[in-house]
Amino acid sequence: MHQGLNPVQERNFGFVTEFADPDTIALPSVEVFSPALDKYTFGNTIKTISETDLGNFQGLPFSDYLQQRTGLFLRQYGAGMLSSLTMRGTSAGHNAVFWNGLPINSPSLGQTDFSILPVGGFDQASIHFGSGGALYGTDAIGGTVHLTNRLKFDQDHQVRIASVFGSFGNWNQQAEHAFSDKKFSTRSRIYRNFSENDFPFRNLSKFGTPIEKQEHAKVVQVGAMQDFAWKIDLKNLISTSVWWNDTKREIQPLMGSNTGDIQTDKNLRWVLDYFHFAENKVWNVKGGLVRDDQLFNASFNQTIQYFLATDLDWEINPKWNSKSGIRYTHIQGNLSSYQATESRMELYQSTNFQPNEKLAFSFNLRQLVYDGNFAPFTPSLGGEWKVMKNESHQILLNFNLARSFKVPTLNDRFWVPGGNPDLQSEKSLGGELGLNHIYKKENFTLDQSLTVYKMKVDNWIIWLPKGNIWIPENIREVYNSGLEYALETNKKVGDWNINFSTNYAWTRAINQTDISENDRSKGNQLPYTPEHKFQSIINVGKGTFSTFLNYQKVGERFSGTDGSGRLESYQLWDMGGNWNWAIRKKEGNDGLQINNLFNKEYQVMPLRAMPGRNYQFNINIKI
Amino acid sequence: MKNLRLHLPLLWLALIVAACNTADQIESPPLGEFEKGVLIMNEGAFGVNDGEIFHYDPSSGVVKGDVFRGKNLRPFGGLIEDMVEAEGRIYLVANTGKVEIVAQKDFGILGGVSLGLNISRSLVAVNQKLFISDWGPYDASFNNPDSYVAVVNDLNGGPIAKKIPVSSRPEGMIVAGNFIFVACTSAKKLEVISIASESVAASVLVEGSPSRFLDIEGRLFLYATDDNNAIFHEINPGNYTIVRTIKIPLANPTSMVTLGEGIEAYIITSTGWPDYTDAVAKVSVNNAQVINNAYYTGSGLYGIGFKVEGKEIYVAENNGFQGNGSVSILNASGQKVKSLTVGKGPSGFIFK
Repeated sequence: MHQGLNPVQERNFGFVTEFADPDTIALPSVEVFSPALDKYTFGNTIKTISETDLGNFQGLPFSDYLQQRTGLFLRQYGAGMLSSLTMRGTSAGHNAVFWNGLPINSPSLGQTDFSILPVGGFDQASIHFGSGGALYGTDAIGGTVHLTNRLKFDQDHQVRIASVFGSFGNWNQQAEHAFSDKKFSTRSRIYRNFSENDFPFRNLSKFGTPIEKQEHAKVVQVGAMQDFAWKIDLKNLISTSVWWNDTKREIQPLMGSNTGDIQTDKNLRWVLDYFHFAENKVWNVKGGLVRDDQLFNASFNQTIQYFLATDLDWEINPKWNSKSGIRYTHIQGNLSSYQATESRMELYQSTNFQPNEKLAFSFNLRQLVYDGNFAPFTPSLGGEWKVMKNESHQILLNFNLARSFKVPTLNDRFWVPGGNPDLQSEKSLGGELGLNHIYKKENFTLDQSLTVYKMKVDNWIIWLPKGNIWIPENIREVYNSGLEYALETNKKVGDWNINFSTNYAWTRAINQTDISENDRSKGNQLPYTPEHKFQSIINVGKGTFSTFLNYQKVGERFSGTDGSGRLESYQLWDMGGNWNWAIRKKEGNDGLQINNLFNKEYQVMPLRAMPGRNYQFNINIKI
Repeated sequence: MKNLRLHLPLLWLALIVAACNTADQIESPPLGEFEKGVLIMNEGAFGVNDGEIFHYDPSSGVVKGDVFRGKNLRPFGGLIEDMVEAEGRIYLVANTGKVEIVAQKDFGILGGVSLGLNISRSLVAVNQKLFISDWGPYDASFNNPDSYVAVVNDLNGGPIAKKIPVSSRPEGMIVAGNFIFVACTSAKKLEVISIASESVAASVLVEGSPSRFLDIEGRLFLYATDDNNAIFHEINPGNYTIVRTIKIPLANPTSMVTLGEGIEAYIITSTGWPDYTDAVAKVSVNNAQVINNAYYTGSGLYGIGFKVEGKEIYVAENNGFQGNGSVSILNASGQKVKSLTVGKGPSGFIFK
């Protein structure tokens, strides 16, 4: 389903209401303009996670939010440890992740660790489900995550302090100062997140399975952000953001193992945007860099990506919109076992066609070239059909057909020993069909959507042992299919607000490849991919108070490609309450959350202990 | 009658023998489930630590999985590097830093060593003590300069009483007389530990990378490899000198070796880049000859054993650690007669 407004439409709306000059497209009056990421996504499913949604997770890993509050599944290697997202049965590297429009997946690892993206490092997140290669480029096979900052004009001075205190030495603080007038906006934010992670767990690898305290799992994270925007005049805008994030972790060992690994991740991200607004056109020039320094024990790996991109978004007429762009990326890799540089150039074209009020189509094309190699050409076609709309009901049908790809990572190609420079890009072809139903009556709203999809991923790269070394090969072919259901209802009963939402994902990711005569992988679900994930939350509020009860169930997973190594399914309950308050000129909210209410012993990944019942208290103050 | 008189003593003798046999059978405790057949060690997959023991009963053809978990109702929780039968126990040595000690008959847990080990490799039991070879921690360059042999003063495990520093990356060990011989692979040394003083008595540089010891017709050999040779160093256990070195020209030998009949040995070879073809080579140690350099070929060959009864060769295949591994059982002429589905990364056998 297509969510969010077309930015051109937004601007036109502003123009009509605020300005009389027909040649001028007005900037939104308050929020600093940023291109709508979902503009050319008719037929796709996009879920937006707002700042309010993230409120209770201040300073906690974004992976915790995604795992607890969505239908997505993350492979979580312990509390606060590596967390990689799997969408629609694809692997960790098959999701593109963007920060303010810059791709931030590590070019050497090909993925993002969601545990070191703290809530508070961005204001809003959007999840694009399914194939998005034509829209976003490499990696967007299973889905795409966008993290964005939402800066505002004309807000004067604002100070915000947020803290979370929790079990097992969890202690997060964040302080922010923002100032803006009609032309300038600046915001500075610093944070420190700490967790001792010394939770009790049952050590399954020891005789008698004793309850022990988790050792060597401490996480210390500090970071700072600076945003700045300057509305030069009604036609020109410059905005920039810088984010530095430093995470030092003791890597939680597997049960029965006594490893004492230490990992430090230092991430620097900077983006600069220039927007020029002309009649029915927005021209954007974007530059930036993403630098990732990782020190694992004494092994140092660094990648730096430089970006330069430009595109022109053009409303040709009320029926046709077009965006044409080019992005250049230069990558430097200084890895512990090799050094590599790479240049990538990609051209893209997006087109929206809305023949009437009931129909809308998006057609996207992209071609990426990396060091002279052509990645698979990726077209996509999506559409929406408003089947019915009356006072109470709206029914929308969506479809999308798309190809996507993933350029082999630097490690895949150059790691010593084993890197395979001859690897091809992984590629996918898939389609989806969706139905969205919105119902409104008096004090009741219901929004539900159902999506079914099918996808084939080919040239899937896996590392296999060959003699004494491991070598990556384009060997696997996988058929992914599944169903996603989302429901959100709101009901007002007197002074009470009741909100109920639920997400369910049924995921089949069936391996089509046996790598040898003795392999028994073909026909089996991919490892660590639950066939079922269900999540549901109910919020009940009155006035300034609200309480919630959250439930998630993750189905069984397997550690082997042949269905061996079964991991039990688990279900978790969380509950909590919030109180919003305002005293004189200060406002804020306090919240209490109890996670894993029934103290369930569970493992997301084999032998990685997870915390039992734990408490979390958060305070947000705005001055 | 004459015939009967003649045959009566024989008949009585036969009855007495039969009775004695019956009495013996009654007195001997029945063998436990895992005291017969084949124990298959499965190392487990890295990062999952799902090492396990499987049992194969050749007479019934039944493979029983997860023997450790089945008896002890918990996962082993480690990567099993070695499985050693000694002093009526089975020692499961995990390279993730622990040793679990189980009863031979049913795999019930007897004890273990869980604190102080790093990357354990093998174990010998002597004088009611355990000696555990351990690479020690990695340094910044992924070398292991602080390797050791840990001493535990109880056959059922417990705390480490002492660590004897040895050269880098000790692997296989053997007890001979008053000494423990240690193959230090990375340092390319044969090290000798005095059992009495629990210290290194000698350190001998050897040709090739040594990995394990073999007893061939009563003589002690240290097996080592280089890129083009399988090397058998014969050791005089009395003065721990190398008596002679037998070099068998064989390309890409690995440390995986098992003795066959008499002076024959089977060695797994791996060609490496670009073909990555694995094979089992059959060699004659005494004659320093390769009898057949491709006795069996495959990929992901990860362990080998020789079952004397039936003269069968068991070849373990890791299946790329993607899922469960396999064991191919070969007859004396190298033909596969059976294939078993076993655990992750099968790598060794004990034939009972």
